[in-house]
Amino acid sequence: MALLQISEPGGKSSAPAHRIAVGIDLGTTNSLVSASCGSGVEVLPDEHGNYLLPSIVNYSSSTEPVVGIAAKERLVDDPKNTIASAKRLLGRALSEVSNTPLFQHFDFDQEQADAAPAIITAAGVKNPIQVSADILKALVDTAESCLKAKLEGAVITVPAYFNDAQRQQTKDAAKLIDLKVLRLLNEPTAAAVAYGLDSKDQGNVVVFDLGGGTFDVSLLSLQKGVFEVLATGGDTALGGDDFDHLIADRIKQAAGIQELNLMDNAKLLSHANSIKHQLSDSDSVAVDFLGWSGSISADEFKQITEDLIKRTILTCRRVIRDAKLEVEDIDNIVMVGGSTRMPVVREAVEEYFGKAPLTDIDPDKVVAIGAGIQADVLIGNKSADDFLLLDVTPLSLGIETMGELVEKIIPRNTTIPVAKAQEFTTFKDGQTAMSLHVVQGERELVSDCRSLARFELRDIPPMVAGAAKIRVTYQVDADGLLSVMAEELSTAKTAEIQVKPSYGLDADAIEQMLQASHDNAKADMEVRALREAQIEAQQLIDAISSAKAVDGNLLSGDESLQIDAAIAQLQALFEEGTSAQIHELTEEINRVSSGFAARRMDLHIGEALKGETIDEVEQ
Amino acid sequence: MQQINQNYFQLFDLSESFDLDVDILTAKYRELQIEMHPDKFAAAEEQEKLRAVQMTSYLNEAYTTLKAPLKRAAYLLSLHGLDVESVSQNDLGMDLLMEQMQLRESLEELPKNDSALAELERLKKDVKERMVVKQTGFAAEVSEGELVNAKKIFHELQFLHKLLLEIEAGEEQRLGY
Repeated sequence: MALLQISEPGGKSSAPAHRIAVGIDLGTTNSLVSASCGSGVEVLPDEHGNYLLPSIVNYSSSTEPVVGIAAKERLVDDPKNTIASAKRLLGRALSEVSNTPLFQHFDFDQEQADAAPAIITAAGVKNPIQVSADILKALVDTAESCLKAKLEGAVITVPAYFNDAQRQQTKDAAKLIDLKVLRLLNEPTAAAVAYGLDSKDQGNVVVFDLGGGTFDVSLLSLQKGVFEVLATGGDTALGGDDFDHLIADRIKQAAGIQELNLMDNAKLLSHANSIKHQLSDSDSVAVDFLGWSGSISADEFKQITEDLIKRTILTCRRVIRDAKLEVEDIDNIVMVGGSTRMPVVREAVEEYFGKAPLTDIDPDKVVAIGAGIQADVLIGNKSADDFLLLDVTPLSLGIETMGELVEKIIPRNTTIPVAKAQEFTTFKDGQTAMSLHVVQGERELVSDCRSLARFELRDIPPMVAGAAKIRVTYQVDADGLLSVMAEELSTAKTAEIQVKPSYGLDADAIEQMLQASHDNAKADMEVRALREAQIEAQQLIDAISSAKAVDGNLLSGDESLQIDAAIAQLQALFEEGTSAQIHELTEEINRVSSGFAARRMDLHIGEALKGETIDEVEQ
Repeated sequence: MQQINQNYFQLFDLSESFDLDVDILTAKYRELQIEMHPDKFAAAEEQEKLRAVQMTSYLNEAYTTLKAPLKRAAYLLSLHGLDVESVSQNDLGMDLLMEQMQLRESLEELPKNDSALAELERLKKDVKERMVVKQTGFAAEVSEGELVNAKKIFHELQFLHKLLLEIEAGEEQRLGY
């Protein structure tokens, strides 16, 4: 396609025949890079032949940061300068992470409390964007020395539940090292692509991702080239490590060991880890630890891990139910993450779904391979005529309206890119500025959703409440990133913002929010009804008092007293009353003021705007 | 070349009528997505990318609108200059209100446990059948240019659609979802 051949300003004058783009799985524990080389897409090894780059960076001096295995070795002796799991810090606020077990040993720069969490290291202050950038740099170096060519772009994978802030910061990390991001791709989608499921006409795919420390299940629906995430679920505190701990506990129990010093405990855990690996291929493994010798059989392993396995299946069950499907509706199950190599996991999955999961591709590499395939298509090496991935918004995007309610502008699971506009109006007479609050989440109240950004539209010409028309437009691009624009239609005054919030949500929080929106749908409706009744009442009271100020002469003394009494009654109940009570009293005010309103209408028949205000309030 | 100033029907090369083949619409949608999606311009200039984002946003909106019968009906009326947001009593008519009240009452009278599931299922089927009849009526009125009548049927469809959502919510509640 001709358009893809346009070279960048300052770039090479002649485009090479084969353009180099990579797929990057930027993981919490390990990261990988893949590219198309000859026969197909492969994960690229570093100079020592390793495919997995530990996502760890050591900043011990002002020289180059140390990334990967070498950094991992510094975790114990240089913990304050060695940052692991930086992905968990992306899009988060300092207050959310500074006291968590993974990060509490760091010194954070309190000056930057509002920005991304910044860790003070010997090589300076480092935030998660910079750490991610250093990991990306190491991957790019691996790729360039392996392919002996300069990269022109990358597809980077992110968890499906990553919110706007987390996606933005992932992109920012790439920008820091001048890496062009062709697309952010959802991890489960990448896994499905690796298996070529995107070329099927339709079907439902469950991606079962059991990593070292986290567990995610995503249900994707594929219809005519559109991948839609129907539901996600998981457990951020469940992973392969838990299986190691169970084996370690078993050995301690059998050997009659009560307490272990730190060193021996670490030794035991690494021992347990190797036993776990061996049990994938053999029925029984001999154990020799601190003078105790015995063995652990595969059956025994199955028995002690039964509860963990049950938890993973329960999550699958819930995700399927959330998507309003039955287990029979699932056409394929894709296994991702090293922990899915365990036969106990595979067997349980096969038993629950009634069919064998897809395991041909190395579960550590499958996401990176999918990203590499997509990168190759996007850079223009492969015909994309029958290949298109359409993603959806993972959470609803809304705006705060009166009474701290959320008006959803782009609902969850809308195909992106998408632009939607909605018109709003002013609440008070003469209001000249409007504050816009952008939120993300499924709940009805602002306080239950995640705040993404705030901005103001100023210089609205003073008008009667409800007369100004402000159009707010939300635009989400193909990477899931949001920008918001507000425009006052009579003056064409605009304000806009690229939403770049300072912190975001983790999988757990999203899970909780979705669950809560389920559980609270009813309570939320009642809260909404109450808030709406209160707003309606307040608007009526405001309208009447401003009408009285202008046209008080149209009121008889009796009428005025009646209206005041009704208003006083309403005000007394305003905070504690139910929506029905408030509504009733609002109606009462309407009734006693209807004569007044009618006389005003007659008087101001020419002044359409004021007439409308009263009229609107009365409806 | 597809443009943002084309209306949704023109965008998909479809005639402006309520009756449309969703399979053809979807096939055309996919064709246009493949042509216009920002992924096609991943390596292109910012301006091209921006245009692609705008164009596919418009395309997605057009597809969602035309695919859903109720949204399609509203869009069709708005193309003919009718404001579907404003509803007056005259638009509705007494018989519609009575029918709605009856349907709603039968929904509310149902027991609040799963013994009502069979009845909900029956009610759902009933409402869906009514919607099919209304849709046929709507298509006929639009093609004959009887837009006032069409708008009336549109509001009836709106009522039925809302009712359907309530029935489904009732089902979920009773199933403990």
